[in-house]
Parts: sequence; C-alpha cells; structure tokens
Amino acid sequence: MAKRGRLEIIQNILGIIQKNQNSINITPLLRRTNISSTRFKEYYLELKEKELIKETKSQNGEKSISLTQKGFMFLEKYKTIISFIEEFDL
Amino acid sequence: MPPMTGQMINEQIMNRLLSGGLQLEIFYSFIIIACSLMIYFGTKKIYELTGHKGIKYFRLSFLFFAIAYFFRSFIKFIVIYFSSERILEIPPQIFGEITLMLFIYFSSMAVFYLLYSVIYKKIKMKKAYLHLVAIIFAIVVIVTINPFVYLIINLILLFILSLTVYLSRSKSKKSNICADYILLFIFWALGTLDILIPTFLKTFQLIIYLSSSGIFLVILYKVLKRAGN
Repeated sequence: MAKRGRLEIIQNILGIIQKNQNSINITPLLRRTNISSTRFKEYYLELKEKELIKETKSQNGEKSISLTQKGFMFLEKYKTIISFIEEFDL
Repeated sequence: MPPMTGQMINEQIMNRLLSGGLQLEIFYSFIIIACSLMIYFGTKKIYELTGHKGIKYFRLSFLFFAIAYFFRSFIKFIVIYFSSERILEIPPQIFGEITLMLFIYFSSMAVFYLLYSVIYKKIKMKKAYLHLVAIIFAIVVIVTINPFVYLIINLILLFILSLTVYLSRSKSKKSNICADYILLFIFWALGTLDILIPTFLKTFQLIIYLSSSGIFLVILYKVLKRAGN
C-alpha cells in the first residue's frame, strides 16, 4: 500500500470527523485514522492551529472534536487542491 | 524660431514616448503583471487551507514576477524618456544602477522560486541561498557593466534550470507543465537581455512580447481552471 501524503492524511482525519456527525472524541479518532499517536498529535495540533478543527466540551465534560467552516471548505476543495498540485508538479 | 511653450514641450515628450514604443511596453507589462497578480491572489485560498510549501513557493514566484515586470516597465519608461540606449547611461548613474539591480534581483528570485516549487521535496536548501545568488547576479551586472557577462551567466543558468525541471518532472501523465516552465525560463532570459542590450533583440521584440504574454496567459488559465476561482 502506498504511503499516504500529508494532505491525504488531513483529508482522512477531517473526513472521519464529518462522517461522525461532526463530533468525535479524540481516542476513536486516533484509532480510525490509522497513524501512530506521535504523528496524530502533530497533525492534530496543526489542524487546530490552522483552525480546520475545534475542540468542544460536552455536558459530561468530555472533549470532542468538530470541523470548523474552514475544515468543511478543505473537504469541499480537496479534489481541486490535489489536481492543482498535480498540474503544477508542486 | 519661436520659443517653445510648456504645452509644446509636453507634446514633444509625449510624442517621443509614444513613438519609442512605450504603448507596447505598457500593454505588455500590464498583461504580465495582471496575470502574475491574478495567479498570486487566485491561489491564496488553497494556500491558506493547506499551507502547502509547493503552493507557497509557486505563489511567491509570481509575486516576484509582478514586481520584476514593474521595474522592467519603469526602466523602459526612463530609457525612452531620456532617448537613451541603456539605463546605466542615464545620469545620475546610481539611479540606473539601483533600478537595474532591483530588476535583476526580483526577476532572478521569481525564476528561482518557480524552480524551487518543483524540486523542494527532493532538494532541501535554505531560502537565504536563493536570495544570495540573486543578489550576486545583480551585483555582477552592475560591477562588470558588461551585458555579455550576464548573458553567459543567463545561458548557463537557463541550461541548469531547464535540465532540473525536465529531470524532476512528475512521471504522472496529469502534469505537462514542464514545457511551460522551460519556455517561461527562455523568455525570462530573453526579457532580461532585452533590458540589458535593447538593440540586440529589437527586430524580434513583438514576437518575444507576444510569446511571453502567451505563456503567462496559459499558466493563468491553468491556475484558474485548477484552483476553481
């Protein structure tokens, strides 16, 4: 199986959150992304920093993750971004 | 002979500028600057979403192209205005030297960033080196005052750039940008030559301008088509 690229992993993480009715806890998200916890942490921090995801606290105090407007836009534009990168060999 | 009024002098200057091909220069520069800025701003959204380094260098390259062509049209304007052959012949000389240095620096940076956007995954280097090489080029042109020295540097650089782009091109059939980039490098070299030795390419000027604008328009079309703006 080919190694996934950075953008593909980001799309994967965001896609999982979206499919889970835009709310998922961090542990199942880590499990379903299928990457090491160290790498997951790096991606998680990057996505938070870029405001593609946000943390929310549920009533029982549990931390859950959901997509921001920018996160939805990334998923919407993913194919465009990939075709742009391929077109210009970036 | 009656003394010339202010209006007559203005008319004379305007006639000189227009007959010297300034209209063509302005139109050509306008196309290149507009295309470059449209590419730069058209890719803003996808860069903000991804933070992709390749997109960043690609965008910066076209920003540098826009700045370089601004200085280019400025040089052409000054040269035509003073009815001179070269910017370095216009007094005070320091004014011409600074403008030419800025043009060489920004145009070299544009080409280096475009090349780096293609090879950055394979070759890691500090961006400061790119700036350093561009500054060295600019200084060489000013110190030697010999356009042929720069012509030789350009030809060597053109060969290296074309070879690097060709070798590092993606094997995927989706990308055919390699030819566009090589043509862009060729017309960049010719454009710089046109600034340094204006009489050298005068016969082919219109063809060079049309071809050069055509390449920028093709790249802009591809960007707008792919970036979806």
